[in-house]
Amino acid sequence: MTLSRTTRFLLIAAPAALMVAGTLAAAPAAAPSPQAAIAARQAGYKKMGAAMKAINDQLKTDAPAKAVMAPAAQTLAVTAREQPKLFPAGSGPTAGVKTDALPNIWTDRKTFDAQMAKLIAESGKLVAVMNGGNIDAIRVQAKATGGTCAACHRQFRQDT
Amino acid sequence: MPDAAMTASDTPAPGTRLARIWDAPIRLFHWLLLPLIAFSWWSGERHEMEWHRLSGYGILALLVFRIYWGFFGGRTARFAQFLRGPGAALAYLRSQASGRHEPAPGHNPIGGWSVILMLATLVAMVLAGLFAVDVDGLESGPLADYVSFDQGRLASDIHGIIFNLLLALIVLHVAAIFFYTVRLRQNLVGPMIHGRRRTGEQVADVTTSPWRALIGIAIAGACAYAVARGFRL
Repeated sequence: MTLSRTTRFLLIAAPAALMVAGTLAAAPAAAPSPQAAIAARQAGYKKMGAAMKAINDQLKTDAPAKAVMAPAAQTLAVTAREQPKLFPAGSGPTAGVKTDALPNIWTDRKTFDAQMAKLIAESGKLVAVMNGGNIDAIRVQAKATGGTCAACHRQFRQDT
Repeated sequence: MPDAAMTASDTPAPGTRLARIWDAPIRLFHWLLLPLIAFSWWSGERHEMEWHRLSGYGILALLVFRIYWGFFGGRTARFAQFLRGPGAALAYLRSQASGRHEPAPGHNPIGGWSVILMLATLVAMVLAGLFAVDVDGLESGPLADYVSFDQGRLASDIHGIIFNLLLALIVLHVAAIFFYTVRLRQNLVGPMIHGRRRTGEQVADVTTSPWRALIGIAIAGACAYAVARGFRL
């Protein structure tokens, strides 16, 4: 049996093209490498910790500065929405880089995601009360937002 | 004159008497420090940070008082009396090794260095704690708003590392007391409680001025209050 040049070309080229297309299609949707995800989420959490500290430092003073607190609340809310995407499978203690993430994040993902949703909701509310401007309301909501950090850390972060 | 109450551990010799070797403030300092360190550990482990801060302020006040008392306190409390050079420390160790144990009327040359080491460790511990920030940016020492989040996290790490050093020193401290009790038959705990020990005639009672103690307490309290308020007075 003889194949035409065109047929032979298609037989070789078609699977190759499909593979390339498949890779291209998968690339944007693919999760970052576990190590990159760990680095990114740690940077995110540090940003959130710094923002939380900036707010709490102000709330300790007699005249908390909204000019400092409002951008910090914005940072918290924006970063919070990015964090849930940065826990791909394999980015736990087995990733080979230092992480305080506990394995139950992946075995109890539903609870973890629910905690993340709470953080996003509370930090969103914090931005809202910042715009309202009542210091007592800000104090209460900062505490509520911080409470979601602490609660999730108790469950899913190694206490070091 | 030896009497019936005298025990073997007092190394009796003719003409010994009970002399006051630790003044009341130094004993109070010691026995207040112990529960406060224990409570600080417990509250820190439990993340009871409101209590942990209060306990830390208590230790801060004690340390300020102790440093003041190192200059204005009773004879045996003064740094100038018990800070000895390495030569004296070595000579003391050698006399111990040769079995000629002579109880010191206060801190011996090795004990003096142990005191300085423990005080320095506690000062470093408290200083790091004042600037420490927790991982969430929620809880922090009273002076943490003078540093960045990263610096505060570093202070928190240092605070934790120094605690291990402190634990090691406490273990050494207790082991030394045990060694003195068992091997040298010298009771160190009793005198730290009631202040007195059998000594030779030539050892005079340690005397202190209550006014100086009150001034020290006032300074210590003022320092702790100012720090607790983050110097926003």
